[in-house]
Amino acid sequence: MFSRSALRSLTSELRWTAPSTISSAPLQRACLHQTASKMSSQQPEAQSSSTHPESPLSATPRAQDSQPSARRPGFDEMTMTPRARADVPIAKQPVAPTFTSPLKVTKSLMSQLPHLVGQKPHYIVAHLHARPYLLTEGDHIRLPFLMPNVKAGDILRFNRASAIGSRDFTMKGAPTVDERIYECRVRVTGVDAEPLRIKEKTKRRQRHVKQAKSKHRYTLMRVMDVRVKTPEELLAEGAVVVEDGQDGSVIEPRS
Amino acid sequence: MPLRGIRTTTAARNGAGAFILQCKRLDFHYCNSSGSSRGMVAFLQKTLPTFARENPQIEIRVSPRPQKHPLIKGLYINGREKPVCVRNLEPHDILKKAILLKEASGEKLKRTKKPVTSLNESVRGIWSPYHGDLRGV
Repeated sequence: MFSRSALRSLTSELRWTAPSTISSAPLQRACLHQTASKMSSQQPEAQSSSTHPESPLSATPRAQDSQPSARRPGFDEMTMTPRARADVPIAKQPVAPTFTSPLKVTKSLMSQLPHLVGQKPHYIVAHLHARPYLLTEGDHIRLPFLMPNVKAGDILRFNRASAIGSRDFTMKGAPTVDERIYECRVRVTGVDAEPLRIKEKTKRRQRHVKQAKSKHRYTLMRVMDVRVKTPEELLAEGAVVVEDGQDGSVIEPRS
Repeated sequence: MPLRGIRTTTAARNGAGAFILQCKRLDFHYCNSSGSSRGMVAFLQKTLPTFARENPQIEIRVSPRPQKHPLIKGLYINGREKPVCVRNLEPHDILKKAILLKEASGEKLKRTKKPVTSLNESVRGIWSPYHGDLRGV
């Protein structure tokens, strides 16, 4: 895999790219955790000798008309995740993907997965800022907020889902399904606004009426695909089959 | 006349496969003599070439409109148009308006409460009291 010198140069590079202005402890811990997870993901693992840690999300590039810019501030090119930044509150810091270990799938889930994969179409309950969105392929989304730093044509991948299902089967996560089991892509199609709202504010015994105006803007999106990976794909990406009884996602047939 | 079934046509779902920007044309109108167009003239000279280069899919037209306030007009694929008056604005504010027109969908502004609109049928079907197992309370 990687020689030790290569690893060392990688870690030194990571240390340089880590934000140096941050002084608070939790942020530094977050950064350290990220680098630690990256280091461990780069190290060869005994049970999975496949190419899984190379591409944690294993997102196959598809038709994309706007290439993301090469150098983006606050963005880690290696893990394709936003990096911790000093100007963002601690509660809203991006969470690094927890790919320190290969994906663990129970035997029962592995045996039931073909039923779910084979039955189309699929729906997904994707969570964005702790709000659930029930999506199917081709749906139109108008987020209740303006998403920063995206422009029309960008492709996003939702990686928090509490449930994915078809007509008769539902995979439920505890609390979320591991993001390596499914793929859900959405495309940003533009920005919309609501009609101008005017609220008349009055005080008692005053003739003056104040008009408070508001016109919020919202991000529009279109769901490109909702897909569950087959057991063969999961095994090819380095998933490990474990015994039942451990916590994890379960597939429930319809009663 | 024989009975014919209803022919289904595909519904437009821009972005699900290919993505086409809804704004197809931007018209920039200015006036050479009036003071309210000062920012617009600066915008046309400085900022517009780069804006046009970044957005090759949008046709851009610049035309004078004497004795009138400056105006940007966006024309959309759905046939609607969206005019924005930019009188007395600075070039960077005008750029914001141009980006607003570029990313707009061209639809009439509506207040909606549901975030997701779907054309698909319900994945799990409609609940029926005659199917499925009996359940105790």
